[in-house]
Amino acid sequence: MTASYEIRELTPFEVRFAKNRDNLTLTLSDGTFYGRTELRRCFPMSEGTQFISVRDPNTDDHDEIGVIMDYGLLSEADRELVEEALELFYFVPKITQVRSVKEEFGFLYWQVLTDKGELEFVMRDSIMSYVREVSATRYVVIDINKTRYEIPDLLALDSHSQGLVRRMLCI
Amino acid sequence: MKAESKENDDTALIAEQVPTPVLRCLETEGGSPFRLTLVCKSDLAPNGEFGEQWLLLDEETFYVVSRSVDGADLRYKYDLARISDAHIERCVGNGLLSLTVDDEPQVVLHFSNELGKEFGAIAQYLHMRASEGVDVDIPDIHADANRCIYCGRPLLDSTSRVCPRCIQKSQVFKRLMSLASPHRGAIVLITVLLLGIVAIDLTPPYLQRILIDQVLVQGGSYKLLLWLVLGLLGLRMVRVGVVIWKNRLTIGVGSRFTAEMREKLFDHVKDLPVEYFEKAQTGRLMTRINTDTDELQGLISELTMALMRIMTVIGISVVLFSMSPSLGWYGLIPTPLVMLAAYLYYRRMRPHFRRRWMARRRFNAMLNTFLSGVRVVKAFGQEQLEERRYKAHNDAYLNSILQVDLAWSRFFPIASFAFGAGGLIIWYVGGRSVMAGQITVGTLIAFLGYLGMFYGPLSELTNVSQSLNRFVTIAQGLFDLLDEEAQPQPVRPVRRELLNGGIVFDNVSFGYDPYNPVIRDLSMKIEPGELIGVVGHSGAGKSTLINLLCRFYDVTNGSIRIDGIDLRDMSMDDIRRNIGVVLQQPYLFAGTVAENLAYGMPNAKRIDIIRAAKAANAHDFITMMPEGYDTMVGEGGGGLSGGERQRVSIARAILNDPRILILDEATSSVDTKTERQIQEALDHLVQGRTTIAIAHRLSTLSNANRIVVMNHGRIEEEGEPQALLDKKGAFYDLVQLQNRFSRYQEHAELLGAAK
Repeated sequence: MTASYEIRELTPFEVRFAKNRDNLTLTLSDGTFYGRTELRRCFPMSEGTQFISVRDPNTDDHDEIGVIMDYGLLSEADRELVEEALELFYFVPKITQVRSVKEEFGFLYWQVLTDKGELEFVMRDSIMSYVREVSATRYVVIDINKTRYEIPDLLALDSHSQGLVRRMLCI
Repeated sequence: MKAESKENDDTALIAEQVPTPVLRCLETEGGSPFRLTLVCKSDLAPNGEFGEQWLLLDEETFYVVSRSVDGADLRYKYDLARISDAHIERCVGNGLLSLTVDDEPQVVLHFSNELGKEFGAIAQYLHMRASEGVDVDIPDIHADANRCIYCGRPLLDSTSRVCPRCIQKSQVFKRLMSLASPHRGAIVLITVLLLGIVAIDLTPPYLQRILIDQVLVQGGSYKLLLWLVLGLLGLRMVRVGVVIWKNRLTIGVGSRFTAEMREKLFDHVKDLPVEYFEKAQTGRLMTRINTDTDELQGLISELTMALMRIMTVIGISVVLFSMSPSLGWYGLIPTPLVMLAAYLYYRRMRPHFRRRWMARRRFNAMLNTFLSGVRVVKAFGQEQLEERRYKAHNDAYLNSILQVDLAWSRFFPIASFAFGAGGLIIWYVGGRSVMAGQITVGTLIAFLGYLGMFYGPLSELTNVSQSLNRFVTIAQGLFDLLDEEAQPQPVRPVRRELLNGGIVFDNVSFGYDPYNPVIRDLSMKIEPGELIGVVGHSGAGKSTLINLLCRFYDVTNGSIRIDGIDLRDMSMDDIRRNIGVVLQQPYLFAGTVAENLAYGMPNAKRIDIIRAAKAANAHDFITMMPEGYDTMVGEGGGGLSGGERQRVSIARAILNDPRILILDEATSSVDTKTERQIQEALDHLVQGRTTIAIAHRLSTLSNANRIVVMNHGRIEEEGEPQALLDKKGAFYDLVQLQNRFSRYQEHAELLGAAK
C-alpha cells in the first residue's frame, strides 16, 4: 500500500456502518467492504463528535481508511453504531462520587462510583505522572493498569468527594 | 489450572470457578462442565460496562457466555478447528480478543486492562494450538501474574515480590540485623549509651527535689547547696560527653552500614539481566540504590531517637509513680489529649506538606522545560506565555507555603495548650497535697520538671509508626532488589576460546512481553565470515535480533547456536569476547579516549590502541586534539561529535578482535562525508569476521553476501543483494524509497558545497 500524505475525508454519504456480531463493518460508497474497523478519536479529551479516525485492524499497522470529520452528521443508524463502538473502545469510567481514598506505601486506593458501576482502583502516588489536568475542573487519573478515570467536572461532585480529590491530587 | 491429566478432580476444579447459570448454558449447547480445559472471566459486559463474560474452552470447542442478573447467554461458539489464529488488541482502558474464524476476523469480547495478561496467554495458546497442533500445553493463566508471594494479591510494584501489607516486620528487622552484624559491638554500645543518657536526664529533677526540700525550705547547709549545684553541673558535662560519643558512634555505624548496603546492591545489580533494567526504569533503580539507602540512614537515626524517647517515657513514668502514685495518675490525665493533638497535627499537616512538595516539583519541572527549550520559546515568540505560566506556578507554590505556615500557626498553640494543661492539673492537685502536708514542695517541683520532659517525647512517638513503616518498606525494597535473580548462567559452560563464527537461528520466537511476540518463528543460518545485511522498517525486530544474539535477552522459543553451541550453554565471558558490537548511539564512559578504546581490554598495549584507532579512521582526529589520546571525554561522550564517537566505538571493537561483529545502524546519525569515513573503517573491520549489519542506508550494504529483509518479526525476503533487486520485491521497494530520498539529500549537499 502506498502511503498518502493527504487526509482522506469520509463524508456521511460515503460510509455505511453495520454490525456483524462484535465486528463493526464498513461499506464505502465505491463498494469497498471492511469486515472489521477500528474507530479512534483524534482528540479524545477535547472534541466530542469530531475527527474520528477510521482504521483497518486487519493490516499490520492498522492503516487509516479515512477520517470522519463529525460523526454527528452521519445518518442516525450510523451515528448510533459509531457511538457504541467508541463507547466500547474507550473504557474511561467517569467518576461521579468518591467514597474514600486511602494512601498507603506510595499508592492511593480509590473507592469510587462511576457511570459504569462502583469500583476500586489503585494508583501510584505520583501526581506528576499519573494525573492529567485537562482544565482547572477536569481531571483524568490513571491507575496502575493504565486505565483512565475521568472527573469531568470537579465542581459537580459533592463536597466530600471534592475535598478528597483536592487533598489527594494537591489542587 | 493445568489440565494435562484428565483426572476428574482437576476438571472439577476448573468448572468450580464458573457460576452455575453459565455452566447450565454450556450444557444446553451440548458441552460438559467436566470436559472444560480452560476458563477465564472477563469483567466487562458486551455493552462495555462492568459485567461478566466467560470464555470457556474444552477439547474441541470455544465458547463465550455472558452473564447478567437475568441469567446467562451464549454469545459465541466455535469449533476450535475453525480458529486459525487469535490475538489481543489494546484499546483505551480495555482490550479485545479477536479470533480468525474461517479466515475472517471476529472480535469476541472486551476485557479490562487488568486482565490483559490472562487473555494474552489465551490468545497465545489459541495461536500456538492452531499453528502447532493440539498438543500445545494449556497455559496456567494465573501463574505468570505478578502476585504477592504471601497473600497472592496482585503486586502493584513490578520490582517487588511481597506486597506492602505482607511485609513481615520482624523478618525485615532480623535480616537487617544480620546485615548489620559486623557492627554488633557498636550497636550494643550505642544502646548502653542511650540508657545512660536517659538516666542522666532523669537525675536533675531528683536533685532539685533535694535542693528545695533539704536546702531551701528547711534552711540546709551551704555545703550541701554547693555540692548539689556542682552535681548538676557535673551531670550536664557528663551528658555532653556521652551524647557526643553516642552521636559519633551512630553516625559512623549508620554511614558505614548504608555504604556497605550500597556496595552490596551495586555488586548485585551489575549481574542482573538486561531484562530487569527494562522492567525497572533507570530512575526508580537510581532511587533505590542511592536515595533509599540515604533515607535508610536518616531513618536509622530517627529510630534511635524514638528508642531513646520510649526509654525516657518509661523511665519518667516509673519515677513519677514511685514518687507519688496518686499524682502520677493525675499527670497521665492529659496524655490522651497530647497524643490526640499530635495525631491530628500529623494528619492535618501531611496533605499540606504534600501540596507544598507537589507545587515545588511542578514549579521546577516548568522551569526545567523552559530552560531546555528556550530556543523554541524565542523562535516562536512565546516569552509572554511562558512568563504567565511561570507566574501561575509561582503563585501556586507561594500559596502552598502559606498554607503550611498557616496550618502550623493554628496547631502549634493548640498543641502547647495540651502540653501545658497537664502542668496545671498537677499544680492544682499537687498544690493541695503540699498544703495538706502529703508531699513536699520539692516533690511537686520535681514532678513538674519530669512532666515537662514527658509530653514532648510522648507526642513525637505518635509519629513513630509512620517512620517505622517507611523504614520497613524501604528495607524490603532493597531486599527485593538483592533477591532479584541474576541471569541464569550455565552450570557447566561449554568453553570455546576461539569460535569460527557460524550462527544458526533455529525457530526463534521472542517477545519482551511474552504475549506480544516481536520475533516470530525465525530461522536463519549464517556461515563463518559472511556479511549479512539486515534491513526493514523500524519495529520489524532488527534490534531485537541483536539483543538476542548478545544474550541481553533469552529467546522464548527455539534456540540460537554459535558453532553448534546453544548460547545458553556458553559462558558469558566467551560470548562477550567473541561478539563485538558497534551500536547506533555509541556510549563512551567518563575517562580518556585511550581508556575508552581499551574498555574491553584494559591491558591493551599503547601501540595496539593506536593501530585500532588508525584502522577505524579515528587516529587522525584524535591526534589533532590538544590532549590526543589523553583527552577526557564525558559521560555519553561529550566533546566528540557523533561521527567521532562512532569511530572510537569502532576502534574499540577492532581492538577486541571479535569473531562475530554486530553493526547496529552504525552510520545512521552522521553526514555523508563522515559516513564514508566510517564506512571505510567498517570495511576494514569486517574482514574475516562474521558480520551482521543493520543499516538504514542501504547503500552501505552493497558488499553484503546476503540481505535479510525483516517485517513484523519474520523474514520477508532473503538473498544476494543483486538477486533481490532483480526480483523487485520488498528490498527493491526499500531501495527505491531511499533512492528518491537520497537524491534530494545529495542535491542539497551539492548546493551546500557550492555555496
